[in-house]
Amino acid sequence: MSQGLYACVHAAEFPSQALLRLRPDLQSLPVAVLEGRAPLEQVCSMNRNARQLGAATGMTRLEAEALAGQSGGLRLLPRSLEGEAAARAVLLECAASFSPRIEDGSKDAAGDARKAAGTGTAWALVLDIAGTERLFGPPRALAERLRNALKAAGFRASIAVSANFHTARMLAASSRGITVIPSGEQALALASLPVALLAIPDSHAETLALWGIRTLGELAALPEVDLIARLGQEASTWRKLAMGAHTHAFQPIEAAFSLREFCEFETPVEQMDSLLFVGARMIDSLALRAATHAMSLASVTVDLELEGKRAHRLVLRPALPSVDRKFLLKLLQLEIAAKPPPAAVLALALSAEAGQSSKVQLGLFAPQTPEPSRLDVTIARLKAIAGEDRVGSPLLEDTHRAGSFRMANFAAENPPDEEQEGPPRMALRRLRPPLAVRVALNAGQPALFYDGRQSYKVSTSFGPWRSSGCWWSIDGWDSDEWDVLAESEGAPVACVLVMDRGKHQWRLEAFYD
Amino acid sequence: MSARSANALRLEIEHALERSFPAALTPAQRTIRETASTGIAKVDALLEGGLPVGAISEINGPASSGRTTLVLSFLAQRTASGQVCAWVDADDAFDPESAAANGVNLRQLLWVRCRKAGGPTQSKQAAKPWTRLDQALRATDLLLQAGGFAAIVLDLGDTAAEYTRRIPLATWFRFRQAADRARTSLVVVAQAGAAQASPVQSSNAQSSAALALHCAVVSPVIAGGTVLRGFHYEVRNQRQRFTPFAVGRNKPPVSVWPAASAWDTTGNFANAETSATGEVLVMEQSA
Repeated sequence: MSQGLYACVHAAEFPSQALLRLRPDLQSLPVAVLEGRAPLEQVCSMNRNARQLGAATGMTRLEAEALAGQSGGLRLLPRSLEGEAAARAVLLECAASFSPRIEDGSKDAAGDARKAAGTGTAWALVLDIAGTERLFGPPRALAERLRNALKAAGFRASIAVSANFHTARMLAASSRGITVIPSGEQALALASLPVALLAIPDSHAETLALWGIRTLGELAALPEVDLIARLGQEASTWRKLAMGAHTHAFQPIEAAFSLREFCEFETPVEQMDSLLFVGARMIDSLALRAATHAMSLASVTVDLELEGKRAHRLVLRPALPSVDRKFLLKLLQLEIAAKPPPAAVLALALSAEAGQSSKVQLGLFAPQTPEPSRLDVTIARLKAIAGEDRVGSPLLEDTHRAGSFRMANFAAENPPDEEQEGPPRMALRRLRPPLAVRVALNAGQPALFYDGRQSYKVSTSFGPWRSSGCWWSIDGWDSDEWDVLAESEGAPVACVLVMDRGKHQWRLEAFYD
Repeated sequence: MSARSANALRLEIEHALERSFPAALTPAQRTIRETASTGIAKVDALLEGGLPVGAISEINGPASSGRTTLVLSFLAQRTASGQVCAWVDADDAFDPESAAANGVNLRQLLWVRCRKAGGPTQSKQAAKPWTRLDQALRATDLLLQAGGFAAIVLDLGDTAAEYTRRIPLATWFRFRQAADRARTSLVVVAQAGAAQASPVQSSNAQSSAALALHCAVVSPVIAGGTVLRGFHYEVRNQRQRFTPFAVGRNKPPVSVWPAASAWDTTGNFANAETSATGEVLVMEQSA
């Protein structure tokens, strides 16, 4: 049986990393993350700049604000659990592209979430990388590629590779950068690490401290039988862990493929540019994640959380699934311009549906049609000019009501060629809304009508053609129609006059043209 | 003196006159422009094939002069061959039922309905809403830039001529360039002055238009004295950029074509004047 090989990815200060991942403008500033209910909030995580300023875990909001007042640059952000969940999914997906077997490494040997000092807000994943040498090269090369992939996704993580699961986990938590432990040298690598990494209960930790045992190397040097006699059976596990010899039954987790990004703003955002700045990073991340699965983004749903507990939803549906960042960002910009949020934005969430990659098979003899992605942007721009429901393809409705139609989304397709025959048909130009007119009758036929601007003398009228329907509903109609040949100021016109029998109103509905 | 061929003589004369008249005796090569059929044989014959591709065609005329019917017939031909078209409707007057009756594949047609006051009003820079004409021009510009449309109809048919005349020539020039680049037939439907006016006076796009047609109604066709069965329309070719009229011709060529009502499926409408039940009424022409 071949020996196992594990790589542990340890993302320290995960709450602050999850918040800053989508906010490159804040990454160079000192940032501390607060959690808890006001006014008892405490600092739970911070970036390196904030630590250098003097910020520490457990500081109250008041202390942090005092520090911010002194230093003048410390930014305090509220913790976002939803944002962390989205960031976890991204990190997990990123790791899944290197190995399908991944376990959550944030738990100790007993399976409980670790409470050890300095690791409480970290998140760790352990990858089973045995047998990946032919794909990614030696363990160090894999670790470097993994670290670069994480960096591209916006994470800073330390990576440790070892033949022992727990050794990789503990080394990743206590070191920076990449550490690769050769097989059989686990005990040596762990020897200098503090005993606190083992999450030993406080009572036993005190005992070990009294004995002067501070490092794992010192713990591993103690005789096993005497240790068990004094501290119980658990001490055997701690000693094996300290020696890098504790075995582990790997419990892989499933990396669910969900394309979702979330970002919560510390202050309400009114400027669309700021929103798009963050949105661009989120679209980047979604497109990258979809691309790693050889997929594209078929639709992107933008959920905006607004002030006053209101929500605003926008949906981007490109004609073809796409991972083109600029194109999707342009669609987002036009969509927000067409449907601006009615209030300032508190949080932004993007969730996408993956679709097959956007490849179109063109025909050598197929007629030229607009490029789908360019057409999407053009239609979005047209909608911004003319209105959301005023651009598209008209679809006739299954009714006898004259002039009824609905607008459908336009999609350039190439249907089979059809032979177009027959004479041209008289076309109408409709007046929307119909123009109310006053009509003078002669023997029941229109003889003269006036539309408010000019009067028309009717030379010939044909009708009435009675039409009615939907009498059982509120939009029923019952009308008499006349085809009218008339003349106004010497100019002949042919038009359609309608008399609404229910309201006894005359309307000029259309002109023949 | 040795006998010289006519060709050699011609070359010698051309060489002598080269500085003043380049290629003086060689007939200028005629550019054959691509055209697309309108679907109306008589109009195609008048236009020597149809409306030009990659150029601006202007169809002018008063209300009820057959402009829309002519353009719908043209679009029916384009969509039937699998191409996509766009209709920029400045006055929201397009009737989908008429288009379908003429054979236009509505799924292949992008309809832009300009509204009374549109545009990005939420922008602080654009405090004043755009007029319908502004919207129509901007939409046409966007569609031409997007490319891929076989035909784009800019429908200004109900917009008063005094407004359409104010469209800057630079706009038409830009449209012409974009249409040429995208190989799109840009058809402008507009009201215009009298047919007797000079081609430049009666055209909005003026020198940018490759073709300017003037439409008028000739007569309605009435069946049995009670039903309007169709119209006869007249098309006058006022200006054709690439096939100039013969020198000495005073009047532009004219063609008369019929349009039947949507319900008329008899198929013999073109001979309606001579049918036993048909009756022709002549409408008075505007001055």
